[in-house]
Amino acid sequence: MNRFGRFFVAAALLSVAGCSSDSSSSGTNVPSTSPTATTAGSNGVTTAPVGSSGTNTTDAPSTVQPSDPTSPSAPSGDGATINVPDDQPTIQAAVDAAKPGDLVLIQPGTYHEAVTVETENLTIRGIDRNATVLDGQFALDNGIRVVGANGVAIENLTARNYTKNGFFWTGVTGYRGSYLTAFRNGDYGVYAFLSYEGQLDHSYGGGSPDAGFYIGGCYPCDAVIDHVVSEYNGLGYSGTNSGGDLYIINSIFRFNRAGVVPNSGSYELCYPERSTTIIGNTVYSNNQPDTPAIDVALLAMGNGILSAGGVGNDIERNLVYDHDKTGVGLVPYLEQDPNDNQPTRDSWSRPCADTVNDPLPDPASVPDAVLWDSHENVVKDNVLTDNRVADIAVDSAGTDLATLGNSFCGNSFTTSAPLQLEALAPCDGAKPTATDWTAGVLNVIGWLGETHPPSQDYTTSSPEPPAQDNVPDAATAPAHPATDVPAAVDTASITVPTKPGS
Amino acid sequence: MIGRVAARWLAPALLVAVSALTGCASDANSQQSHDTGDLSMPGTSMPEMSMPEMSMPEMSGAGAPDAPVAGAQGRVPQFLVECPYSHALADDPIVFPGRPGSSHMHVFFGNDSTNAASTLESLEAGTSLCDQRLDRASYWAPALFDGETMLTPSKSVAYYRPGAGVDPTTVQPYPPGLKMIAGDAGAQGVQSTAVVAWTCGTGIARDALPPTCPVHRPMRMLVTFPDCWDGTNLDSADHHSHVAYSSGGTCPSTHPVPVPQLQFSVVYAFSGDPSGLQLASGPITTGHADFFNAWDPAKLRSEIDACIHRDVVCGVTSGRK
Repeated sequence: MNRFGRFFVAAALLSVAGCSSDSSSSGTNVPSTSPTATTAGSNGVTTAPVGSSGTNTTDAPSTVQPSDPTSPSAPSGDGATINVPDDQPTIQAAVDAAKPGDLVLIQPGTYHEAVTVETENLTIRGIDRNATVLDGQFALDNGIRVVGANGVAIENLTARNYTKNGFFWTGVTGYRGSYLTAFRNGDYGVYAFLSYEGQLDHSYGGGSPDAGFYIGGCYPCDAVIDHVVSEYNGLGYSGTNSGGDLYIINSIFRFNRAGVVPNSGSYELCYPERSTTIIGNTVYSNNQPDTPAIDVALLAMGNGILSAGGVGNDIERNLVYDHDKTGVGLVPYLEQDPNDNQPTRDSWSRPCADTVNDPLPDPASVPDAVLWDSHENVVKDNVLTDNRVADIAVDSAGTDLATLGNSFCGNSFTTSAPLQLEALAPCDGAKPTATDWTAGVLNVIGWLGETHPPSQDYTTSSPEPPAQDNVPDAATAPAHPATDVPAAVDTASITVPTKPGS
Repeated sequence: MIGRVAARWLAPALLVAVSALTGCASDANSQQSHDTGDLSMPGTSMPEMSMPEMSMPEMSGAGAPDAPVAGAQGRVPQFLVECPYSHALADDPIVFPGRPGSSHMHVFFGNDSTNAASTLESLEAGTSLCDQRLDRASYWAPALFDGETMLTPSKSVAYYRPGAGVDPTTVQPYPPGLKMIAGDAGAQGVQSTAVVAWTCGTGIARDALPPTCPVHRPMRMLVTFPDCWDGTNLDSADHHSHVAYSSGGTCPSTHPVPVPQLQFSVVYAFSGDPSGLQLASGPITTGHADFFNAWDPAKLRSEIDACIHRDVVCGVTSGRK
């Protein structure tokens, strides 16, 4: 279980200046602390402050040429610091002006921007996490979106009120989000897709209908989620088709519809979900009836840690309590009208980089439905109380449960489904001391017929989070791009958390 | 007002016959029983627009379109826009501009101001209902009926990708005001699933007719638009000739400008027996969709630069939703 490897991203300092997008229209770019400022996009066209729609632009004389490397207001390269709004009036302008290795340092204020990052190895940091706020006003799509740019770190910022995501990395190797707050966003809070070598730490995700935190479509992901809080979402954590050196540790998932829900499905690449390590988390009260929620969050409601078709996950030393259904459940994911046949067992370990190039299947060969069972997961040494259907559970929809290879041992629990689960499926190849898999089964199929409180409007349903901790030395720390992530993880040293307030 | 099924069918069928005789307007969604005489060219905003000869709907310029890439999302770069259902009107600002009530019933998505009087300028002043508010384009499709009951769609998803095999770095933004129609509203039989297909959820199967969908996998009509533009015209007399489908990853010489391939999906919370389904344009085989570009130009260019040119998946629509 120990893991001391440290991974380094080759600093391929490819300039992407020629690919720089014109994102001046992506937001209005004006911190509220500068109400009279005019602002400039990456093309030097000035945009004017606008009203609540946050989307208008207007031509006007340019006051700043942020992409001009000769501009004295835009020093960059070799770890230079670009201050917003002093050096560049907007975050987007600063990002567009920055060179790999630079630090974009943002003063407190409210920035109505949707920032797209296409330059590698940047560090983007707010001076004050709680007061340096990107606000999409329910009109802009993503707070900060990193598109194919490796090694970008984002620190000490809040993103709220976006129609899609708060912070989003896609198609990158090397990413880090530290001391971030994302809430009231329309899809995910903090989101990494088809990305590798990442770290999300000391961050908060709240009020999203999908997940507060998501890492999906990667194997081996080589990523860590550490010391985050996720609450009032449809799902606390979601990870579709991810895993492999993927660690979710030391975090709190509470007050969501469901807590930690990795799953498999052929609707996205890199199936199945496998080898996610979930250790040392506090997972409680994920029955919240008044959150926004996608369909799967409704279906999964009332579960703490739920592997939906996951393979080979390690779920250890978590504190899990107060759930209407299961504390830790291993259940199938029924995918109707899938995109592919299920991969055979001997191909579960194929890297995503290989499988993405597989030829498309003949649609006629794809069945009408695929049942992704949960196989070979280990549920060990967790402390579980008051999970009202079962503290620990495994089920399928027709598959002989004895053949799935899951194991349960060392848990502190009261109820299981089936009964005597630790005796039925002990760890480490030990001989089972019970054989009746039929007594007290979970009946997960019955969940399909249940009704739940409907999804609520994400724009109004979630509470604002309290003030969150700041990254140390935000104003003075040098640039720290995501070229040394994830940090080493010593899972052996992690113990079961104590109950909050106890 | 929703007409009876027979009326909905007969009018387009009659006008398909008229079109065949006259060689005029191929898009039967323009036709209604009381309005058969004027199939003239709608206005365009391009002052020196050439006027290609009117022809039948198969004139896409590059022959049969290649099948768009299907399968799990993530294989090809894309950005997408999801929109809730906006409104229904018997209007068509492409085929019957300025003539409200002259079309069969359409369901509209995107720009909430769309009606028969819509112009680029009016759309630019309108509001997008989508999760990408800077996409002020208008999307519409014929209304779907189950027997006599019009079905209200739950949402639309617009996938913007390079055409199959097209070099992503060559894709250019649509010009402001571009109008396109994909699919054949006068089709007498099933259309190529490369243009109009029906699916359950986001599965790989593409059927020419609506399948029987389970409750948790909503039915979708998926219409794939041409991905090559002639570089000059925002519209054409038949509303098709100014754009074409790529073939083998290449745009035809007559339409040399690669543009994003818009795959437009209309989602219905409909499950079960599809045998009673019909479209406002006629039989269920008459599927088609319309697109009137009013994206914020800089945002559209930004999305193409960041996602298509860089070969990155900038969003997916989840099969879980």
